Amino acid sequence: MVCAMRPTHTGKAGDAMMLRVENLSVSFRTDEGMITPVEGVQFGLDAGRTLGIVGESGSGKSVSTKALMRLLPNSARLSANTRMTFVDKRGETIEIEKLRPGSRALRRLRGGEIGMIFQEPMASFSPVYTIGNQIMETIRLHRGLKGAKARELAVETLSKVGISNPSARIDQYPHELSGGMRQRCMIALALSAEPRLLIADEPTTALDVTIQAQVLDLMHDLQRELGMAMIFITHDLGVIAQIAQDVAVMYLGTIVEQGPVRDVLQTPAHPYTRDLIAAIPRLDRLEHRLHTVPGEIPSPSARPTGCSFRTRCSDAIDGLCATKTPPVTDLGGGRMVRCHRHYPERTAT
Amino acid sequence: MTDTLIEVQNLEVTFEIGRRGLFSGAAKKLRAVDDVSFDIKHGETVGLVGESGSGKTTVGRAILRALEPSGGRVLYHGETGDLDLAHARKDEIAKVRGKLQMVFREGGLDLATLGGAALRAFRPRMSLVFQDPYSSLNPRMTVRDIIAEPLVAAGLMTDRKQIDARVREIAARCKLNLEHLRRFPHAFSGGQRQRICIARALVARPDFVVCDESVSALDVSIQAEIINLLKDLQEEMGVSFLFIAHDLSVVAQISHRVAVMYVGKFVEYAPTEALFFNPRHPYTHALLTAVPQADPDIEFRPERLEGEIPNPAAAPPGCRFHTRCRFARPKCSAEEPQWRQVAPEHYVACHFVDEMDFSRTIA
Repeated sequence: MVCAMRPTHTGKAGDAMMLRVENLSVSFRTDEGMITPVEGVQFGLDAGRTLGIVGESGSGKSVSTKALMRLLPNSARLSANTRMTFVDKRGETIEIEKLRPGSRALRRLRGGEIGMIFQEPMASFSPVYTIGNQIMETIRLHRGLKGAKARELAVETLSKVGISNPSARIDQYPHELSGGMRQRCMIALALSAEPRLLIADEPTTALDVTIQAQVLDLMHDLQRELGMAMIFITHDLGVIAQIAQDVAVMYLGTIVEQGPVRDVLQTPAHPYTRDLIAAIPRLDRLEHRLHTVPGEIPSPSARPTGCSFRTRCSDAIDGLCATKTPPVTDLGGGRMVRCHRHYPERTAT
Repeated sequence: MTDTLIEVQNLEVTFEIGRRGLFSGAAKKLRAVDDVSFDIKHGETVGLVGESGSGKTTVGRAILRALEPSGGRVLYHGETGDLDLAHARKDEIAKVRGKLQMVFREGGLDLATLGGAALRAFRPRMSLVFQDPYSSLNPRMTVRDIIAEPLVAAGLMTDRKQIDARVREIAARCKLNLEHLRRFPHAFSGGQRQRICIARALVARPDFVVCDESVSALDVSIQAEIINLLKDLQEEMGVSFLFIAHDLSVVAQISHRVAVMYVGKFVEYAPTEALFFNPRHPYTHALLTAVPQADPDIEFRPERLEGEIPNPAAAPPGCRFHTRCRFARPKCSAEEPQWRQVAPEHYVACHFVDEMDFSRTIA
């Protein structure tokens, strides 16, 4: 794999890519009119790779990934030119945006092809069934195994995620387990369907650092073993640095910068990425004052004209950033940035 | 007057657990905080870290007597003289209310269990800064009334104009827009709500504020602002903070000294730099290695802590950390380690502290 995120303007070049998202825009009708929490999001992902998505609350990171699973509420509208293609286990290309709600193909996609785990494990589990019941149901639905065979596989999956004494734990209810244990069971539930892609939405945010380290370790090992691709959503750049190969930074519904993790974290190109990295309290340097991003994130219903970050940007260009939306600039090496400062033709405009 | 504000001596908090029903015998005792001693100076921030279930929140609440300690003393060296908060009568406490404030995390705290009278007696001198600022502000009160509440409840101020002036002063210091004071809390973002909580905590000019997971739920950029704000207010007002958090990097940036707790006991207490760059307890070191750094070139090698934190109701004998410690020897499960000083202001509870060296280089 040469590069996970190819430039978006190369068109057909990403044929082998497992997941490709183009022009993803999501709008909601609200009392205050239409809001567009996600606009023009593009990214791609190869099998076996991990893409990290970082951003603060309201940046649209969860909405984008829910759109991938078609999990958005009925009030949500995808733009007409949204394209989400996914190559499934059988090598067939699925056009996710065209799947009909409630269709067989969509049910197979959810869980079977794309699994999802959340910050709160109880969002995945029903409190009234045992862990085993729920894992076995998934196995029956997506792998076609029943009875003793399904149970055997469920026990195996639980032991894979590091649950001690899995044959006894399988008959426990979610509330009988500790937080870290539940998190592992949720991962086991998602993995039992053997998805090609796992979307993890802040899966370690609520955990203690020691347990977080165990879970990250586990996900890393499982990925290597199963060759599964991952999209890891978090606001913790430390977690991204350790688990992902590529990262996309989102601000107010658009990806402002993306590229290989090392490059983006060490030499950020977008002013927002720079601010974000500088604001993180570090363990290896004690500072008197932390860097802050001036101002607050505007509401999605009052998105600034031009570049959406210009109201907080220390590097904005007068008369340009407020009027023109910055185009995506390819910096080479798989890096992309949406900023007038990097757009070579800006002097001409 | 010494420069020490709060002196905690052998603090102990026990909870009765298990059913006290018809057929069960005596209730079991759970020692949530066991023999904890430390002090906090005027104008100082002491950080308190540990995994969930280690007892950090209980320490904060017991100091302010939001719950009853079962043993030990909490000496408060206030302007009006010394007072042992752990044994003080209600009327004595009423006199210092307003000087001690608390900023809580919402989650596990059940305000109802605090008991009406005990809570009311304390509220003005304690400030609560919650982890989740969305659910901790009364949606039916204006921001002005929320901030003024500690003043009014303690009867510290009765004149409306005086109260208004004080509220406006503290709101401005917390960088709240004055026209926001007439609004209701639902209209505010997480960062602004946290500012409202902080303004309320500081309105009665407290000496001491407990901040329990106060910035944990905020985005990094807002978190950085709130940390800077707390530092500024401390410089201006000379208030002391006990800053409870599970995020070690946040604690490192805000604290002068840091204590590490494990299953109800302090394992290490030291000046921030010593604790983070020259930790002496194996548990402190394990915690530090578990924090992923935002730089792919810093190798992430978390030290494996087997299993999970033990249940305090069944705390291991001897050193409580011995079940997960990679240096554990027979002595560790047999004998409880002494709390001893290893360097100026640096305290550790480990039998083999002299053999431990985890020092790291400073970037």
